[in-house]
Amino acid sequence: MPGDCHYLEGNVHARRRVERIKRLLEDIGLQSERVKMVNLSSAMATGFVSEAQIMTAQIQQLGPNPLRAS
Amino acid sequence: MIIAEQKSLEEIKGLVQGAEKLLVVGCGTCVTVCFAGGAREASILASSLRMASKLNGHSQQVSDVTVQRQCEWEYLDPLREQVKDVDVVLSLGCGIGVQALAEHFPDTWVVPGLNTSFLGLPTEQGIWEERCAACGDCILGLTGGICPIARCSKSLLNGPCGGSEDGHCEINPDIPCAWQLIHDRLNKMGRLEVLMDVQTPKKWRASRDGGPRRIIRDDLRLASEEE
Repeated sequence: MPGDCHYLEGNVHARRRVERIKRLLEDIGLQSERVKMVNLSSAMATGFVSEAQIMTAQIQQLGPNPLRAS
Repeated sequence: MIIAEQKSLEEIKGLVQGAEKLLVVGCGTCVTVCFAGGAREASILASSLRMASKLNGHSQQVSDVTVQRQCEWEYLDPLREQVKDVDVVLSLGCGIGVQALAEHFPDTWVVPGLNTSFLGLPTEQGIWEERCAACGDCILGLTGGICPIARCSKSLLNGPCGGSEDGHCEINPDIPCAWQLIHDRLNKMGRLEVLMDVQTPKKWRASRDGGPRRIIRDDLRLASEEE
C-alpha cells in the first residue's frame, strides 16, 4: 500500500515517476492510459486479477501501439 | 552548479522541425547532476523525438551522445564526424554548452533543449535553489556567507526592506528573507557588529552592467595562442 512498501517509500516514488511517464507519453502523442500503477499487496490475489482484467480491457479498447503498427 | 530545466517536448519539436537527421548532445557536468541534460535525459529525449516523429509520419533519425563537458573545446572535438552527418544539433547543455557547440561547429545549426535557470544547489532531492548571481564582486565575507544579491528579491545591500515579514519575503511567503537569514546567522556567530557597517553602492560594472565579461590570466596563457 502507498508508503508501506518493502522498499519503504519506494512505491510513493514510483507513483510520481509513473505520473511523469504518463505526461511524457501524452507529449509524445501516445495515450497515457497505456501505463497505470495500482497498489496491491501480495495477499490481494483477487484484486490483482481484477486490475489485470481492467487493464487488459482498456488496452484492447485503445488498440495496438501505433508505433508498432506503422 | 548551473541549474537548468528541459524545455517542453512541444517547444523542442518546433526547434528541430524539418530536420531529417538530428543529434541530441548531453552534457556530463552540471546538467547531469540536476537531471536536465545528462546521458539519461539525452537518451530519453532522443527516444521521445523518434516516437513523436514516427507518429507524425516523418520518422526523424535521432541519435544521442553525451560529452563530459560541452563548455570546453577538447570535449567537443570527438563529435566532429557525428556533427557533420546531421541537419541539427540539439544541445542539452546549459546556454554555455549550446554556444560552445555553435562556435566550435560554425557550419552546424545548433538549438537549445534546456532553459538555463540559475547558479544554485540542491537543498533536498528534487529541489534546487539559487545561491549566486555571478555579480563579479563577491560580498559574502560581509554577510555571513549568505548572498543578498542572489537571495534578496531586491538585491539589497543594507536590508531588510519593509516587506520582510516573519522571516519571509513579501513577494512569496515560501522565500526566506535573505536579510533575516543574514541577521540570524551573524547573531548566532556573535558577529552582529558587521551589520553596523553601511554598505556603499555596489560596483555593478563587474556584473552584467559592464557588458559581456572576460577574465585574462597571463600566467596561464600559452605563448602560441597570444594574439
